[in-house]
Amino acid sequence: MWGVRLLAVCFWLLVWQLAAWAIDARIILVGPLEVLARLAALATTGEFWASVGLSLGRIALGLVAGIAAGVVLAAAASRVRVLRELLAPLVGALKAVPVASFVILVLLWVSSSSLSIVIAWIMAFPIVYANVLEGIEQTDSQLLEMADVFGVRPLDRLRLIYLSQVLPYFRVAVSLALGLSWKAGIAAEVIGLPDLTIGEHLYDAKVYLDTPDLFAWTVAIVVVSVALEAIVGRALDAALARWEARP
Amino acid sequence: MSGELALRGVDKRYGDIVVLTGASAAFEPGRAHLLMGPSGAGKTTLLRLLAGLERPDGGEVTLPSGTRLAMTFQEDRLCDNLTATANIRLPHAHLRGAALEAFLAREREALGAVGLPVDSRPVRELSGGQRRRVAILRAVLADADVLLFDEPLKGMDEKTVEQVMDYVCPLIAAKTVLWATHDPREGRFFPDPTLWEVRDGGVFHL
Repeated sequence: MWGVRLLAVCFWLLVWQLAAWAIDARIILVGPLEVLARLAALATTGEFWASVGLSLGRIALGLVAGIAAGVVLAAAASRVRVLRELLAPLVGALKAVPVASFVILVLLWVSSSSLSIVIAWIMAFPIVYANVLEGIEQTDSQLLEMADVFGVRPLDRLRLIYLSQVLPYFRVAVSLALGLSWKAGIAAEVIGLPDLTIGEHLYDAKVYLDTPDLFAWTVAIVVVSVALEAIVGRALDAALARWEARP
Repeated sequence: MSGELALRGVDKRYGDIVVLTGASAAFEPGRAHLLMGPSGAGKTTLLRLLAGLERPDGGEVTLPSGTRLAMTFQEDRLCDNLTATANIRLPHAHLRGAALEAFLAREREALGAVGLPVDSRPVRELSGGQRRRVAILRAVLADADVLLFDEPLKGMDEKTVEQVMDYVCPLIAAKTVLWATHDPREGRFFPDPTLWEVRDGGVFHL
């Protein structure tokens, strides 16, 4: 299976390279070899790593805050009907409004350097909130009955029955939120142009028609995205497995 | 909720279906009570009333004050994502330190005794028959005064039944046990059990 996947990737890289040669205009399309060379050159500069680090740090901050808010408010909303009804339109709006509108609106309220934090939060919060709330709602009423009969203590009920039912939902939500926050956060940077960020470099590449740079930064964004997904996904799976395996 | 474990003139219906009408029975503490009767006669409803999971439409259900309950249900009702030991320990999930270690040792001994593996798999990976045994052990080790069993051995093969009951019987011998079953032969697991029949909306002492 891996071999087939690799061959398919190689096929499309080859098509891309041939197309670049055929078009022979760097402004329109650069081939993968040139992109790789450009990326390698970028990676030797401190500015590249500083930009990746700054973008990543801010977006991660917003993401973590969004996850925390989603979990806390979902738990509260599952208990308090009024809160749940109150939050429903807000969460609906956060999901429905295009991210570009939020970016422009939020720029009126906060400095451009905080923009991607807020945007990452806006992406992560509704997903985590909705998924965790769903997980709590789906908690098996038969298990809760069982806990009533056995007189399981409230904290143990929360820790074992609810948590064991909600964790799989949480796991999915974090994966989704991670990808979305990262991409939307970068898009916000392209509009807000905070100094020394990936978004700013993408914008510069556009302004100066520096297509190799545009491609190189894009590849960097994708690589970070895939790496994050793999690292966080694996860490979560390992934590979940360890939690499940407790005696 | 005080006094003896009993039903007094209990009516219970679900919509148009009348399950119990004026049912009365007092279950003597510290002994086993075998509840028999055809399917749908109301054995499960009777247990659910005693467990406080249903309210009677008429009459009253009483339990000795401070009664600690344990129960097996028609379904296993296990937390799929937890290990067998974590499931069995749910009523004791607050234990820590030496008390936890002691209880874990007891759990492992119990699992071995009923032919279950002691490992770190969540119970969703166990077979139906294995899950049933976990549910039985959870009830037996719950340190309860009154144990309610709703056809716990249903679908279990003869050899497993013997193995499970060899372990379970001594542990519940001095407790108040209500044991719903189709099979009158299950009376052999208890010294001198009280026999009851649930039928026609009533609970009758045999």
